[in-house]
Amino acid sequence: MSFREKTAWISLLSMAGIYGYYFWSVVEAGPQAGGSHFSGLLGTVIALVVVQVVLTIAVAVFNPKDAQTPRDEREKLIELKSARFAYAGLATGIALACFFAAFDPPILFNTNALLFILVTAEIMRSGSQIIQHRRAA
Amino acid sequence: MATIRNEIRRLRFENGEMTQQELADKISVTRQTVNAIEQGKYSPSLEVAFRIATVFGQPLESVFHYSKD
Repeated sequence: MSFREKTAWISLLSMAGIYGYYFWSVVEAGPQAGGSHFSGLLGTVIALVVVQVVLTIAVAVFNPKDAQTPRDEREKLIELKSARFAYAGLATGIALACFFAAFDPPILFNTNALLFILVTAEIMRSGSQIIQHRRAA
Repeated sequence: MATIRNEIRRLRFENGEMTQQELADKISVTRQTVNAIEQGKYSPSLEVAFRIATVFGQPLESVFHYSKD
Protein backbone atom coordinates (compact mmCIF):
# COMPACT_ATOMS: atom_id res chain seq x y z
CA MET A 1 0.00 0.00 0.00
CA SER A 2 1.44 3.37 -1.03
CA PHE A 3 1.91 6.32 1.33
CA ARG A 4 -0.84 8.27 -0.49
CA GLU A 5 -3.31 5.43 -0.05
CA LYS A 6 -2.46 5.18 3.64
CA THR A 7 -3.05 8.91 4.12
CA ALA A 8 -6.36 8.59 2.25
CA TRP A 9 -7.37 5.83 4.70
CA ILE A 10 -6.34 8.06 7.64
CA SER A 11 -8.42 10.91 6.27
CA LEU A 12 -11.45 8.71 5.57
CA LEU A 13 -11.50 6.88 8.90
CA SER A 14 -10.67 9.89 11.08
CA MET A 15 -13.29 12.08 9.42
CA ALA A 16 -15.96 9.39 9.48
CA GLY A 17 -15.21 8.53 13.11
CA ILE A 18 -14.70 11.98 14.63
CA TYR A 19 -17.31 13.89 12.64
CA GLY A 20 -19.66 10.91 12.95
CA TYR A 21 -19.43 11.26 16.72
CA TYR A 22 -19.95 15.03 16.47
CA PHE A 23 -23.08 14.76 14.31
CA TRP A 24 -24.45 11.99 16.49
CA SER A 25 -23.99 14.20 19.58
CA VAL A 26 -25.69 17.14 17.80
CA VAL A 27 -28.70 14.97 16.98
CA GLU A 28 -28.76 13.59 20.55
CA ALA A 29 -28.55 17.06 22.12
CA GLY A 30 -31.31 18.46 19.92
CA PRO A 31 -31.95 22.11 19.11
CA GLN A 32 -32.00 23.19 22.80
CA ALA A 33 -28.24 22.75 23.20
CA GLY A 34 -27.58 26.12 21.53
CA GLY A 35 -24.08 27.50 22.16
CA SER A 36 -22.62 24.21 23.41
CA HIS A 37 -22.53 23.07 19.79
CA PHE A 38 -19.73 25.54 19.11
CA SER A 39 -17.42 24.11 21.78
CA GLY A 40 -18.27 20.62 20.49
CA LEU A 41 -17.31 21.66 16.98
CA LEU A 42 -14.07 23.26 18.17
CA GLY A 43 -13.16 20.08 20.03
CA THR A 44 -13.99 18.03 16.94
CA VAL A 45 -11.74 20.11 14.69
CA ILE A 46 -8.87 19.95 17.20
CA ALA A 47 -9.30 16.18 17.64
CA LEU A 48 -9.35 15.70 13.86
CA VAL A 49 -6.17 17.72 13.32
CA VAL A 50 -4.34 15.93 16.15
CA VAL A 51 -5.40 12.44 15.01
CA GLN A 52 -4.55 13.09 11.35
CA VAL A 53 -1.18 14.69 12.10
CA VAL A 54 -0.13 11.96 14.58
CA LEU A 55 -1.19 9.09 12.29
CA THR A 56 0.40 10.66 9.20
CA ILE A 57 3.67 11.19 11.07
CA ALA A 58 3.52 7.59 12.34
CA VAL A 59 3.04 6.26 8.81
CA ALA A 60 5.86 8.48 7.48
CA VAL A 61 8.24 7.35 10.25
CA PHE A 62 7.69 3.68 9.41
CA ASN A 63 8.31 4.27 5.70
CA PRO A 64 10.23 7.54 5.24
CA LYS A 65 11.28 6.85 1.64
CA ASP A 66 7.66 6.54 0.48
CA ALA A 67 6.67 9.65 2.39
CA GLN A 68 9.44 11.75 0.81
CA THR A 69 8.72 10.60 -2.74
CA PRO A 70 6.87 13.34 -4.61
CA ARG A 71 3.49 12.52 -6.17
CA ASP A 72 3.89 10.93 -9.58
CA GLU A 73 1.58 11.45 -12.56
CA ARG A 74 -0.74 8.56 -11.67
CA GLU A 75 -1.19 9.78 -8.11
CA LYS A 76 -1.90 13.31 -9.36
CA LEU A 77 -4.49 11.92 -11.76
CA ILE A 78 -6.13 9.97 -8.93
CA GLU A 79 -6.29 13.14 -6.83
CA LEU A 80 -7.81 15.14 -9.69
CA LYS A 81 -10.44 12.48 -10.45
CA SER A 82 -11.31 12.22 -6.76
CA ALA A 83 -11.59 16.00 -6.38
CA ARG A 84 -13.95 16.11 -9.37
CA PHE A 85 -16.07 13.32 -7.85
CA ALA A 86 -16.19 15.08 -4.47
CA TYR A 87 -17.07 18.39 -6.15
CA ALA A 88 -20.15 16.78 -7.69
CA GLY A 89 -21.24 15.69 -4.21
CA LEU A 90 -20.45 19.11 -2.75
CA ALA A 91 -22.37 20.96 -5.47
CA THR A 92 -25.40 18.67 -5.09
CA GLY A 93 -25.32 19.11 -1.32
CA ILE A 94 -25.11 22.89 -1.55
CA ALA A 95 -27.99 22.97 -4.03
CA LEU A 96 -30.11 20.92 -1.60
CA ALA A 97 -29.08 23.18 1.31
CA CYS A 98 -30.16 26.25 -0.70
CA PHE A 99 -33.50 24.58 -1.39
CA PHE A 100 -34.11 23.76 2.29
CA ALA A 101 -32.94 27.23 3.34
CA ALA A 102 -36.06 28.57 1.63
CA PHE A 103 -38.12 26.96 4.45
CA ASP A 104 -36.30 29.16 6.98
CA PRO A 105 -34.84 26.46 9.24
CA PRO A 106 -32.96 27.38 12.45
CA ILE A 107 -29.44 28.71 11.93
CA LEU A 108 -28.03 25.77 13.89
CA PHE A 109 -29.60 23.38 11.39
CA ASN A 110 -28.22 25.34 8.44
CA THR A 111 -24.71 25.47 9.90
CA ASN A 112 -24.58 21.77 10.67
CA ALA A 113 -26.16 20.86 7.33
CA LEU A 114 -23.42 22.78 5.48
CA LEU A 115 -20.76 21.17 7.67
CA PHE A 116 -22.25 17.74 7.01
CA ILE A 117 -22.15 18.40 3.25
CA LEU A 118 -18.50 19.49 3.47
CA VAL A 119 -17.52 16.43 5.52
CA THR A 120 -19.41 14.12 3.17
CA ALA A 121 -17.59 15.62 0.19
CA GLU A 122 -14.23 15.07 1.93
CA ILE A 123 -15.15 11.47 2.73
CA MET A 124 -16.18 10.99 -0.92
CA ARG A 125 -12.80 12.36 -2.00
CA SER A 126 -10.81 10.04 0.28
CA GLY A 127 -13.02 7.07 -0.59
CA SER A 128 -12.59 7.71 -4.30
CA GLN A 129 -8.81 7.93 -3.86
CA ILE A 130 -8.75 4.57 -2.05
CA ILE A 131 -10.90 2.87 -4.70
CA GLN A 132 -8.70 4.19 -7.52
CA HIS A 133 -5.51 3.20 -5.73
CA ARG A 134 -7.00 -0.31 -5.26
CA ARG A 135 -7.96 -0.46 -8.94
CA ALA A 136 -4.42 0.71 -9.72
CA ALA A 137 -5.47 3.44 -12.14
CA MET B 1 -11.57 -0.87 -28.09
CA ALA B 2 -7.88 0.02 -28.30
CA THR B 3 -5.39 -1.59 -25.94
CA ILE B 4 -1.81 -0.81 -25.04
CA ARG B 5 0.29 -3.82 -24.13
CA ASN B 6 3.85 -3.68 -22.90
CA GLU B 7 6.97 -5.78 -22.49
CA ILE B 8 8.11 -4.29 -19.20
CA ARG B 9 7.93 -7.52 -17.21
CA ARG B 10 10.05 -9.39 -19.79
CA LEU B 11 12.50 -6.51 -20.09
CA ARG B 12 12.91 -6.31 -16.32
CA PHE B 13 13.66 -10.04 -16.27
CA GLU B 14 16.19 -9.71 -19.08
CA ASN B 15 17.90 -6.79 -17.34
CA GLY B 16 19.22 -8.61 -14.33
CA GLU B 17 15.78 -9.34 -12.87
CA MET B 18 15.31 -5.68 -12.11
CA THR B 19 12.66 -5.16 -9.45
CA GLN B 20 9.65 -2.90 -9.89
CA GLN B 21 11.07 -0.66 -7.17
CA GLU B 22 14.39 -0.32 -9.00
CA LEU B 23 12.61 0.61 -12.22
CA ALA B 24 10.36 3.01 -10.31
CA ASP B 25 13.39 4.76 -8.81
CA LYS B 26 15.02 5.10 -12.25
CA ILE B 27 11.94 6.71 -13.83
CA SER B 28 10.85 8.74 -10.77
CA VAL B 29 7.46 7.15 -10.12
CA THR B 30 6.16 4.93 -7.33
CA ARG B 31 6.42 1.13 -7.38
CA GLN B 32 2.60 0.98 -7.47
CA THR B 33 2.61 3.00 -10.69
CA VAL B 34 5.14 0.67 -12.32
CA ASN B 35 2.94 -2.26 -11.29
CA ALA B 36 -0.16 -0.57 -12.74
CA ILE B 37 1.63 0.15 -16.03
CA GLU B 38 2.99 -3.40 -16.21
CA GLN B 39 -0.47 -4.89 -15.70
CA GLY B 40 -1.95 -2.59 -18.36
CA LYS B 41 -4.20 -0.88 -15.82
CA TYR B 42 -2.63 2.52 -16.35
CA SER B 43 -1.32 4.06 -19.55
CA PRO B 44 1.69 6.25 -18.75
CA SER B 45 2.33 9.68 -20.21
CA LEU B 46 4.59 9.87 -23.24
CA GLU B 47 7.39 11.20 -21.03
CA VAL B 48 7.27 8.25 -18.62
CA ALA B 49 6.99 5.83 -21.53
CA PHE B 50 10.16 7.30 -23.04
CA ARG B 51 11.91 7.12 -19.66
CA ILE B 52 11.04 3.41 -19.40
CA ALA B 53 12.29 2.75 -22.93
CA THR B 54 15.51 4.64 -22.17
CA VAL B 55 16.17 2.57 -19.02
CA PHE B 56 16.00 -0.62 -21.09
CA GLY B 57 17.86 0.92 -24.06
CA GLN B 58 15.00 0.05 -26.39
CA PRO B 59 12.94 2.09 -28.86
CA LEU B 60 9.48 2.99 -27.58
CA GLU B 61 7.69 0.65 -29.98
CA SER B 62 9.65 -2.31 -28.62
CA VAL B 63 8.36 -1.64 -25.12
CA PHE B 64 4.77 -0.57 -25.84
CA HIS B 65 2.41 -2.03 -28.43
CA TYR B 66 -0.80 -0.37 -29.53
CA SER B 67 -3.53 -2.51 -30.99
CA LYS B 68 -7.00 -1.53 -32.11
CA ASP B 69 -9.30 -4.51 -31.49
